[in-house]
Amino acid sequence: MLRVHNASVFFAARSGAAVQALDRVSLDIAERSFVVALGTSGCGKSTLLNAMAGFLPISSGSITLDGVAVGAPGADRGVVFQKDTLLPWKSVRDNVALGLKFAGVGRQERDARALELLGLVGLQDFSHAFPYELSGGMRQRVGLARALATDPKILLMDEPFGALDSMTREQMQELLVSVWARTGKRIFFITHSIEEALFLGTKVIVMSPRPGRIVAEFDIDFVQQFARDRDARAIKTSPAFAELREEIRAIVHRAENLESDTV
Amino acid sequence: MSDASQAVPVTVKMRGFGVGEKSTVPISIVTAAAILAAWWLVSRTGLVAHLFLPTPAEVVSVAHSIWEDGYANATLWEHVSASLMRILSAALIAIALGIPAGIAMGLNRWAKGILDAPIEFYWPLPPLAYLPLMIIWMGIGEASKICLLTLAMFAPIVLSAQAGVRSLPVERVNAALSLGATRWQLFTDVVLPSALPEILTGIRIALGVGWGTLVAAELIAATRGIGYMIMSASHFLATDAVFVGIAIIAACAFAFSLVMRALERLLVPWHGKG
Repeated sequence: MLRVHNASVFFAARSGAAVQALDRVSLDIAERSFVVALGTSGCGKSTLLNAMAGFLPISSGSITLDGVAVGAPGADRGVVFQKDTLLPWKSVRDNVALGLKFAGVGRQERDARALELLGLVGLQDFSHAFPYELSGGMRQRVGLARALATDPKILLMDEPFGALDSMTREQMQELLVSVWARTGKRIFFITHSIEEALFLGTKVIVMSPRPGRIVAEFDIDFVQQFARDRDARAIKTSPAFAELREEIRAIVHRAENLESDTV
Repeated sequence: MSDASQAVPVTVKMRGFGVGEKSTVPISIVTAAAILAAWWLVSRTGLVAHLFLPTPAEVVSVAHSIWEDGYANATLWEHVSASLMRILSAALIAIALGIPAGIAMGLNRWAKGILDAPIEFYWPLPPLAYLPLMIIWMGIGEASKICLLTLAMFAPIVLSAQAGVRSLPVERVNAALSLGATRWQLFTDVVLPSALPEILTGIRIALGVGWGTLVAAELIAATRGIGYMIMSASHFLATDAVFVGIAIIAACAFAFSLVMRALERLLVPWHGKG
């Protein structure tokens, strides 16, 4: 269980005043769950992810992973970034194997593991290519394989498909669901697309800005449906999907309106 | 009609701006030929006094005699190797000191604070301004020349290594840390290779600065070297030998730049792509 308990984050504004980015957020991410944080920009969803990854200390509250307090970044929490962070001087295979190299795994073993993971994300034919030779979607798949290589306890994904075109984005969503179903990894995923959140999550948390807090939580099962039937169109055009989408849209808009009322 | 347009498709391209894609090399070759022709014409017709401007043919024949018999009590190879020796040893020292210093400045507040003061003070100075000090302190031998060159080449290497480290995107660091990198692994596997393109650019700039400083240093107190060769030729108003010296420097500097470009292609083929 990754447990966030009453986590608050304050940043110092240029004036010296403390600005609250995260307000007493509590969240549990259980084994095999796929939690999606949904919200407009500035709602603190990236702040929450950075705190989980250990890039950002929290002002108060606690974050524990399987009972152990989360500190500095480490290989137990794999991160996939929105921006491509592959090392341009390493081949695709060596990029995927990077975490294993850091862990001291021998050349042969890490190459074998990297090829296996490239197969999982459908890039087995590109192991010798370099990142600059790949499209944006392919690079994100390499990033996913790289994060999986060290066998982390949880995957943290910060709007990984935000920069992709909508066709590629849907393909990537379906790929991610397969990877999730195959590996059984816990995933914490950030997006500002309601449809993406509904399609991917076993749980969707809706966040609202200034200060960032969770305003609604939904347990849903479209993703299990997809893992079973592999028919994305049927799910996304179903009445149940549309109904929930409109309900969440209303919540997101209300959160924004509330904010503009107080300004 | 559609058959005809299928047979010979009209290929199109986005309208460009600026220099565009067409090669500029033929234009440059014609320009070089025009300059040579103008030189030949001006020197041949006596428009400029022969003392000031020898003909191309004379320069070639002087080059040949320098190649055969040497110049100013030394063979051509002794002059060239003396200069190359100075610039290469200074470059090695400047690289060996400059890269660690620059990286330390990019990573560590104390290193930055301590090294900033002397470097920011001295690097805008023209090296010839402190050459007299070098000679007073270290004599007129090799030590003062190599020290002068090292100082001149050190600054661009330090500053580029520092810039290389500072331009490292924080996401790349975070990605490596969440893959389990230790501080040392972060340094060797991420920081160093990320800074390499900028370091190579710094070395290329340093070599350019080095040639400029080298010739100036050899004009004063030397008995070997291309700069010395030019200087002694000028004492006898031997403009043809001066031209030969200039051509040799140009050739050496060009060769250095080719080597640097090859190194860049070899070490950082990914730079500037994607």
